[in-house]
Amino acid sequence: MEPISRRRFLTTTAGGGLAGILATRVPPARGQQREISYLCWNNFAPASDKKLAEIGQRFTKDTGIKLKIDHVSHMGPQQQKYASEVQTQAGHDLVEMRMHFPWLYEPQLVDVSDVVGELEKKHGKAIGSAYEGAHVNGAWRAVPQYHGMFVATYREDLFKKASLKVPDTWDDLYTVGKELKKMGNPVGIPISQNYDSISTAGPVLWSFGGMEVDKDGKTVRINSPATVQTIEWYKKMFRDCMEPEVLSWSDASNNESIQQGKAGWIHNPVSAYIVAKQRKLITADGINHHRSLGGPHGRHETDTPRHIGIWKFSKNVEPAKEWIRYLLGTREVYDEYIMSGDAFNLPVYEKLQDHPVLRTDPKYAALRGEGVQYHTYGWPAPPSDKVQLITNTYLLPNMIAKAVTGTSPKDAIAWAETEMKKILAG
Amino acid sequence: MAVRADDLPVPRGRPRLAGRVREWLDHESILGPVFVTPALLLLVLLVAYPFVMALYFSMSNAFIGRPSRWVGLHNFIALWDSDVFRQTFQNAFVFTSIAVAFKVVLGIILALLLNEQLWFKRMIRGAVLLPWVIPTALSTLGWWWMFNSLYSVVNWTGIALGIVDPPGPNWLGQRYYAMSAVIAVNVWRGLPFFAITILAGLVAIPKELYEAAEADGAGANARFWHVTLPLLRPVLAVVVLFSTIFTFGDFNIVYILTHGGPINATHLFATLSRQVGIDTGRIGEGAAISLYLFPLLVFVVWAQLRFVRKQVY
Repeated sequence: MEPISRRRFLTTTAGGGLAGILATRVPPARGQQREISYLCWNNFAPASDKKLAEIGQRFTKDTGIKLKIDHVSHMGPQQQKYASEVQTQAGHDLVEMRMHFPWLYEPQLVDVSDVVGELEKKHGKAIGSAYEGAHVNGAWRAVPQYHGMFVATYREDLFKKASLKVPDTWDDLYTVGKELKKMGNPVGIPISQNYDSISTAGPVLWSFGGMEVDKDGKTVRINSPATVQTIEWYKKMFRDCMEPEVLSWSDASNNESIQQGKAGWIHNPVSAYIVAKQRKLITADGINHHRSLGGPHGRHETDTPRHIGIWKFSKNVEPAKEWIRYLLGTREVYDEYIMSGDAFNLPVYEKLQDHPVLRTDPKYAALRGEGVQYHTYGWPAPPSDKVQLITNTYLLPNMIAKAVTGTSPKDAIAWAETEMKKILAG
Repeated sequence: MAVRADDLPVPRGRPRLAGRVREWLDHESILGPVFVTPALLLLVLLVAYPFVMALYFSMSNAFIGRPSRWVGLHNFIALWDSDVFRQTFQNAFVFTSIAVAFKVVLGIILALLLNEQLWFKRMIRGAVLLPWVIPTALSTLGWWWMFNSLYSVVNWTGIALGIVDPPGPNWLGQRYYAMSAVIAVNVWRGLPFFAITILAGLVAIPKELYEAAEADGAGANARFWHVTLPLLRPVLAVVVLFSTIFTFGDFNIVYILTHGGPINATHLFATLSRQVGIDTGRIGEGAAISLYLFPLLVFVVWAQLRFVRKQVY
């Protein structure tokens, strides 16, 4: 055989290799840097973010996939990021979304039904609110991650001091609220342009038998006697149990009010207590939780499920799915993540509902068994981008704010009805 | 000694090219465009392109991440049916007219004060600029804390001095108070721009005019109305023009202080545009909101520049 010169060998092998790469359009695995980026929001339980970073480092070590986690504060900036990333078709591979956002961004999100199917086999079916938020037109557009449900947070020490009975219904809350206001510790329910306002207004409306849009998703039902009852309840609460400051509140204001010793009762997830405990505030010992309140039409609550979505423009869909499987698919890792959230991040799969995190503090007892039946904004209308539009335009709290500041309930409801009809027609 | 052509040094390629370039640059018709091109490119990339995109979006039914189609002026017409938009339209005029009026009056007063012989004059003039220099988002957070219902230092001081009854005004939760709060912060922030620009105008007024007026028996008031103000008019016109445009387009102050609330009472075009375009994804409608006043502002710019030209020439 004719000996092959070194130059000829190099030319032939390099040419062949390059031709292979060009033909398959896939670079060789060796030396290829696998890197994914994940945009999530600053968790209300800050220890959870630290744990996420720690799990991320282990993921990189175990899989060789580099993970870059970016945090963005709360809802406003997050929405700007979603919008700009989608418009420019560039940015993070994975994004944390809450509520119905997968509906708004459906065409831009990868179908992750395969991943959710695997998780459901391991942890049980995803809870109802997770379905409402991320199961879009028969396909999962984001993977249910955790949820933070609304409960009643109150100053147990003040209730005991004044011998007040823990309320069981929204009308009971009016009875104790009057006393709390007299004591200088009013009820703190925001009636302003933020999501917490909707998180309370929804359950009150549902408990009185009302709804914004019917089950068909097309018919506006806000103009009803139940809405009138809801507004009348808010009017008397605003007059006798609260202070006008609730009209200016942000999502954080009710937390701050109870933490700083002012509010005696707020409607909020356990984050107010968690932060008070972590900052060693003197009010932390006095804060406790009780189960959600009911009305003539049952007991309803708001749930704000979080999901992880993968943008379609991502070039790393498989590594991104690997990260989701690593974080949520392994029971030990998922437990570790949930435990770090100190009962703010609760599992979204049915078999994990009675989670050990609920036994880490006696003040989480009220959360056991709650949440599975809860709903996201807009219920009972099937979730859709339109429902998310009604939510994001703050029509419900603005209708109530109008009524408590002097507009007649009839006019306030008519205003909301007109605006909702416009959104559904658009 | 006769020099033969062969003896001459042969010019190398590079110096010949450099020489040619130098020759070209000597021509004004070439040098001008060379200087202007970078600025023009920046303008096209950072101003013209986004503006044309905004125009396109405003005439389409664009929804974030979905295909869009041309709808002409539909967005602009449909907006007028929205109660929130009509409220915003009214807010924008109330906010801008009151804020600009305050800035003009207070700006003239502050400029007159700064024009006096003061101790530490330079330091005071520098300090006056601070509100304008600090990033708006940061300073507005400070104001938010001062107006916050739980921590309001304004209310606390008022109550401590016995001026207001506890718990004090609901600054950000009552429509008129909220509008007053956002106007107050806008005036606080915009005042240095007015004061310093008017001060520059004041310094440029020849002293002889004041001396002549004084010799004719004009008092301080008469000197202000008949000398200072007429000569400040061109400067005032330019300052008012810029401020009107900036105030109409304000975003940070309202977004941080009130989020457009209570009940949309402080929404401006920019904040509503963000809510509609970003929060709800309807960028077509959002762009239409932000461009709604564009024709009016173009007219204002044209009219005021015309006025300035008349004053100067």
